[in-house]
Amino acid sequence: MTDKLDRWADPPLLVLASLAGEPKHGYAITQDVAQTMGVRLSAGTLYAVIARLEARGLIEPLEAEDRRRPYRITAAGATVLARQSERMSKVASLAQARLSTNLGWAGA
Amino acid sequence: MKPPAQVPSGTPLCRAALALYPPSWRARYADEVRALLDDSGASPAAAAASLAARALPAWVRPSRHLYDDGPARMRASVATVLMAGSMLTGLGLVFVQLTQAQGLRPGQHPVIGWCYAVFDVAFVLSLLVAAAGGLPLWFLMLRRACREVSPRDVTYLLLPVMASVSYLAAMIATIRRVGGPDGVGPGWFGVIILAGFVAAAVAAAGPGVALRRLRPRGPALRLATTAAALAARIMLVAVAAVIVAVIGLCVWAPDFAGHHHATLPGVYLVLMAAAAAVTVVSASRGARAARAS
Repeated sequence: MTDKLDRWADPPLLVLASLAGEPKHGYAITQDVAQTMGVRLSAGTLYAVIARLEARGLIEPLEAEDRRRPYRITAAGATVLARQSERMSKVASLAQARLSTNLGWAGA
Repeated sequence: MKPPAQVPSGTPLCRAALALYPPSWRARYADEVRALLDDSGASPAAAAASLAARALPAWVRPSRHLYDDGPARMRASVATVLMAGSMLTGLGLVFVQLTQAQGLRPGQHPVIGWCYAVFDVAFVLSLLVAAAGGLPLWFLMLRRACREVSPRDVTYLLLPVMASVSYLAAMIATIRRVGGPDGVGPGWFGVIILAGFVAAAVAAAGPGVALRRLRPRGPALRLATTAAALAARIMLVAVAAVIVAVIGLCVWAPDFAGHHHATLPGVYLVLMAAAAAVTVVSASRGARAARAS
């Protein structure tokens, strides 16, 4: 059941979080997201997200190396990611606090 | 992060899935996607399925940064709307011929009656809007083709008139020759309809080719694009009315479906919906480019 929740992960946020570390091309993004967040992004999903993020100016393409074009998070993308992270952090803190108060569960 | 060893790339499945995307999307991302598939060694079937599933949204909600320059997008939209719109017009005329002209108003059913009225108004309004917005661009291109003494472009631009007149003349001659007191038989009716669609395609293709060759831009192109978008939306109302009317006729007038075979209305509706989808998507893309320019 817990693993199934992976599908609710927001792909654009995962891609932004991956690019927050360093610029990466498509394959590197999928590897990073799979290793650090345990979510496998398909080619169709990844490039739909890249196109959307690029259109909104949240990421930008760099010079292509062979056919692999790295992407870099922009200042606007970093702002969006920071705002979303803050919200998620608040939700996570609240959830953990209430779970531990009501159910005596402090999380993993 | 080092990618694994190369695996055979560009499987037919993935190539087919990528071919479903808009040209501008493919020009921008197809190479990267192929590189990703090479690096990841993903299952071709799964990769193709994931790509195919995202192709329709790429058409319906194209990313703004993927537009080619505004005028090129607008010209492409006007040409596509012209072609798909002419098919819709043909399908609409078939609807009129097979329903309203046959007096198929079972018991004056109010829903069908309303659908006929909505269709008639929306259909005529859509054609008027398209003509009002498109004629200035057509005259502009015709003037330019005449000024540059380009008989080929003049011919392309006059194709709608020539195709329509030729079709009408051929249709009248055919009906006079083979028609009886009740009109022509189903075989000849099919031939006339088919010839009508060919004539409509030729008529629409002429200005479409002229748009590509003469590459007009400016206010006339923006007006034509905006009018095409408005006409497409109005035509969508007409299409909705046709869909309800045809379903209504099949439900409330068994003679209708029985006379025309049950599958024909279904095929007709699928064609109508497909032409409407192409028209509206392309018109919306053109309208966005017109607003941005």
